[in-house]
Amino acid sequence: MLSALHPLPKLVLCLAWIAASILVFDAVFQVATILVAALALVLAERRSPLLVLALMVPFALFGFGFLTTSVLFRQESDFALKMSSETPFGGAALSAGIVLFLRAIACGMVSALFALTTDPGRLIKALMLSWRLPASIGYALFSALHLVPDLAAEARQMRLARAMRRGRPPRRIPGPGEAASLVVPLLAYAIRRASRSAIAMEARGLGARPHRTVTGAPVMGRRDAVFVVAAVVLIGASLAAAAAWGG
Amino acid sequence: MVTGSTGMAPAAEWRDVAVRYPYAEADAVGPVTLDVRRGEVLLLLGSSGAGKSTLLATLTGLVPQTMPADVSGEVRVFGEAAASRRPAQWSTTVARLFQNAEETLCGMTIGDEVAFALENRALPVAEIEARMAAAMQAVGLEPQERGRRTMALSGGEKQIVALAALLAQDAALVVVDEPTAHLAPAAAARLSELVLARKEGRSVIVVDHRLDGLVGSVDRVAVIDGDGRLMAEGDPRTVFVTHREALAAQGIWRPVATELSAELAAAGMMLEPTPLDIGEAIRGLEGLAPDRRAAARPQVARFVSERLAQPAQDHGAVAARLEGAACAPFLGPVVLENIDLVLHTGEAVAILGANGAGKSTLGASLAGLLRLKAGRRDGGPGGMAFQNPEGQFVAGSVGEEIAAALGIGARGYDLPPPPPPCKAWWRGRTTTHRDDPGHGAEADAARIAAVLRAWRLDGLAARHPFELSQGQKRRLALACLVEPARFPLLVLDEPTAGLDAAGVEGLSRVAQSLRGRGTALAIITHELDFALATCPRAVIVGEGRILADGPCPALLADRDLMRRAGLETPALLDLAAWVEAIAAVAAC
Repeated sequence: MLSALHPLPKLVLCLAWIAASILVFDAVFQVATILVAALALVLAERRSPLLVLALMVPFALFGFGFLTTSVLFRQESDFALKMSSETPFGGAALSAGIVLFLRAIACGMVSALFALTTDPGRLIKALMLSWRLPASIGYALFSALHLVPDLAAEARQMRLARAMRRGRPPRRIPGPGEAASLVVPLLAYAIRRASRSAIAMEARGLGARPHRTVTGAPVMGRRDAVFVVAAVVLIGASLAAAAAWGG
Repeated sequence: MVTGSTGMAPAAEWRDVAVRYPYAEADAVGPVTLDVRRGEVLLLLGSSGAGKSTLLATLTGLVPQTMPADVSGEVRVFGEAAASRRPAQWSTTVARLFQNAEETLCGMTIGDEVAFALENRALPVAEIEARMAAAMQAVGLEPQERGRRTMALSGGEKQIVALAALLAQDAALVVVDEPTAHLAPAAAARLSELVLARKEGRSVIVVDHRLDGLVGSVDRVAVIDGDGRLMAEGDPRTVFVTHREALAAQGIWRPVATELSAELAAAGMMLEPTPLDIGEAIRGLEGLAPDRRAAARPQVARFVSERLAQPAQDHGAVAARLEGAACAPFLGPVVLENIDLVLHTGEAVAILGANGAGKSTLGASLAGLLRLKAGRRDGGPGGMAFQNPEGQFVAGSVGEEIAAALGIGARGYDLPPPPPPCKAWWRGRTTTHRDDPGHGAEADAARIAAVLRAWRLDGLAARHPFELSQGQKRRLALACLVEPARFPLLVLDEPTAGLDAAGVEGLSRVAQSLRGRGTALAIITHELDFALATCPRAVIVGEGRILADGPCPALLADRDLMRRAGLETPALLDLAAWVEAIAAVAAC
């Protein structure tokens, strides 16, 4: 459902929510943000709850660093803690470390919500059409999206070629030495590949005129307006909850 | 200004054009003087590295405006100097289909890709939609496929999408550079048909090595020699006859049918007109008087048998065996199941199938480079020449690359040790290497020089492997795999892609020699004529399994099987069928 929405209002709202998450130093607001993002993925996008939980793991690991730093270096971070407690929504009930921990997960989950529900092609087209992203940059992004799987395929072939020289199948995960030996050839491949793409795009007229038509770009509709209203209400409700139950 | 037959300027013209890249000691191509007339289809032929692609790149100013080079002479498109516009601005007039669509697709979906050039022209949306629909219909794409992700397409499908984008451009001059090099025969034939289809006012320049059967659609042939100069041009029936020996000497592609015609002419039997494809040759043979036809039969039979690999007298030891194997690409899902396949020493097997059928995965599994998801593999480690030769290169120069492969010089890399001394059957003496000239720096240099000479890479020892032409890269990769003679089994994945006729002929000889010294070969190829010439046995892959395993000519002659596998029966087997039919008539 969220995948069908116009990417730009979604982008603006996600950025706004992340900004609120950074500014509002309150555990309740962070928990509300995490819940909204997770429920949106599970209920509206039919993603597996396990997947959603798995998505939280890297952000939780990242946030855990804040938590431990906050606990172990409380004296050194006293000034930061004092500042945080003086913010309008600052909460004293929970430690600053936990808020930082939850904030990392909340920001990560909002980002994941956007990434998992947005087609990169539609986003780039919308940016080109509505926000005047230059076509040269837009198509460079398209090209980069194409490059990722090609680069992976090239790396696989290089690893097979090296395995052949060693006379045994490649390991699933390359060792540090093997990984390091792949960097320069892959970089060279990426440069050559990008050059060929650039030449092909130029041969097909990219940059021939100052303006170009964009077809297939997403169009703003009623459901986008409904989404914006609903998202603003949710942010407001989360802030109210933070004010009521938080600090 | 030179004008065409209609009094108008030619579609394209080069006047004494020569191109030299920065730091190069010689011109990449030229001086060349050549016209492409309006409405004609010109086939540009030349050996690998002759400078054909460079010449084409000068048409729209990609050389020198995007790729720096010194260009002398004059290049004009429809009477207008190529330098008068930026390369992108020529897209309204010149459409180009590149060799490898995978590297040139820029849209996320099929619709994006087809519309790209039209969007760049700022055409109205309604016109873009109409042109897109027409182009997609022309190549057989359904309207609902517009939203399909291009990243999820097979190599053949990507090339078809690139062709739809080319047709949508509706340019007056179409330039296609080896568009079928990576395609299965059925897809290649379809693509060539669409590119060469006649359209009022459209001129086409095509560079390809796989025009057997379609060369009849070509109006004129221009041939660039190894020095980058124009060595012949004219009507195909004339050029392929009058320049036959010169073309052969330069290693340039000739139609099989004109070769047959020349051999029959030498025996006093003339086919009129000179055939350009096997179909025409058979019609010419049918047109002979009965006694002449009967006299031609043994000649034709010999011609066919010379192009079919002879089976080994007896099977050697097992080189590799797959039993109940489930094969999957590296870090990918299973694509082939229940694979039972045995390769013996001295045997050559062609692995054939449509694009994306799992041929490369089967080859790598056979070589022991991929772990099986189920089943077992027996046999020693195999070597593999990959589809993209660049992935195999590890050194900074061609000479170092060969030294590394041979395990000599300063950098031996981590190659397995050379095999113990063995009896070289072809010389009846014991050696560790075919041309072992001894030891020491001089001997090493001599060995490297010998390899360079044998694989037509002379003078390239100091060049970086990535600077070579496609054909040269392919030859270097094959040389590095074959010359050390380390592997009892070699898997060659699309070994002819990018090779000129001389390269393909040389590779056939190498395959024969490898078989002679007991190496098992698995050759993955879309070139069915090459498969027939090198492999007595074939394995047809499709529908996630092995569809058939048997004698190569018999399987390739099975039209139902070929259709099911997305392949086409090679025209050479039509000739073989004609020989059998005539023999049957004579017996009656």
